[in-house]
Amino acid sequence: MAVRLSSTFVFRKLHQLTGIIPLGVFLLEHFYTNSKAMTGPADFNKAVGDLQSIPYIIFIEIGGIFVPLIYHAVYGLFITWEARPNNLAYPYPRNWFYTIQRLTGLILFFFIFFHVLNFRFGAIPWLNDRSVAHFPNEAFGIVSREFANPIIFVVYSVGILATVWHLANGLWLFLVDWGVVIGERAQRLTGYACIAFGLLLLAVGINAQVAFIRPGGLLGGILY
Amino acid sequence: MSAETKTEQQMQGLRNPPREVVLRVRRRERQDAEARWEEFAIPYRPNLNIISCLMEVRKNPVTRDGKKTTPPVWDMNCLEQVCGICTMVINGRVRQSCSALVDNLEPHKPITLEPMSKFPNVRDLVVDRSEMFDHLKRVKAWIEIDGSYDLGPGPRMTQDDVAERYAYSRCMTCGCCLEACPQYGDGNYIGPQAIAQVRYQNMHPSGKITRDDRLSAIMGDDGITNCGNAQNCVRACPMSIPLTKAIYEENRETVIYGLFGWLRK
Repeated sequence: MAVRLSSTFVFRKLHQLTGIIPLGVFLLEHFYTNSKAMTGPADFNKAVGDLQSIPYIIFIEIGGIFVPLIYHAVYGLFITWEARPNNLAYPYPRNWFYTIQRLTGLILFFFIFFHVLNFRFGAIPWLNDRSVAHFPNEAFGIVSREFANPIIFVVYSVGILATVWHLANGLWLFLVDWGVVIGERAQRLTGYACIAFGLLLLAVGINAQVAFIRPGGLLGGILY
Repeated sequence: MSAETKTEQQMQGLRNPPREVVLRVRRRERQDAEARWEEFAIPYRPNLNIISCLMEVRKNPVTRDGKKTTPPVWDMNCLEQVCGICTMVINGRVRQSCSALVDNLEPHKPITLEPMSKFPNVRDLVVDRSEMFDHLKRVKAWIEIDGSYDLGPGPRMTQDDVAERYAYSRCMTCGCCLEACPQYGDGNYIGPQAIAQVRYQNMHPSGKITRDDRLSAIMGDDGITNCGNAQNCVRACPMSIPLTKAIYEENRETVIYGLFGWLRK
């Protein structure tokens, strides 16, 4: 006897998977590169340049980032469209997480679209017309000039917060959706672990962001 | 509070009982008619449940502002929360009306009664829940034991499995889990009720024989992947069925036998 696979089943499983691999893994790499800003512009610019010199980078970027990202974003919109939030009648934490996961997804759809046009392509003329990827030597300057504008800085802080929430909760969702974590107690413990992971990621992300306008980041280089 | 004093207090009713109980009932003449609200007031007495309130209204169906109307229609049967037919949305939350005691419902405020929103509304508080039965048929929520010869006694099960299966067997198809689910509706998701029955039958050693049929049934376009993990179902379930455990166990089965099944061919 064989089990029939529907296209919806495969699309959903792909959506769950792409959120972790490659997108979640890429976010960790992204925060790692951002954190290079803590030890100064030269280190950050070198990290950007090194990334651009990876062999087959164009294929890695398209196949490992752009295609999964567009798939996850567009299919995520379909999933969000189906939601019927009922948080006021059933105000349980997991039900709030359900709605917030969709809300952060919507925020990220617009934030990442803006972020990629802005820094990867330098295609927002009134803000920045230089691609960070094409001008690694100016990378730190391009970013710090923009972050000097408080509105842009807040937009990026909100973007980082939404991304970290979406990934930390998404990791929990992946583990339960793929039948890795099943029981109530195991899910509660995994939930705490994901919260801890999210808080750590948030600290790293915000610290790296601050490093573009304040040398050394939040703690001013005490850690170095 | 000891059990004895609690019973005594329940017998006497509330310390400051209201004079009357106000019911706001969501009404609809026919399936395609406009829905409207009607308010009724009935004299308070201790230990009223929602069904006895509706029976009181039925004796003299006059709205609170004195207008004569038809008595509200609702479903009921067992009156002890084991049949599930009297399920409705009371003060915004889905539950059985037989076990909804007025004394526990803030009786000084109007009590709202609405039909469940996820099923076709037949009239007033009555809904057509046949789609749940259709789902049970689709997932083959039974075990094939008919043969042309005596199949002998059933296989043995561990006590842990028996206990877990007993929990799933308590489902009374009331629909609370589906009403509270933010994903269920308009036929886009088969829902926790049917998935728990898949778990119930797949756990059985004889039921395992037709496991793949059941997995195929919950891996369709409206299948298990449409679960949004809001976990309202397990909280809304009046029979305390571990519905989320059933869903995640079936997530594992669909991944192992469905998604990765081709690796064993």
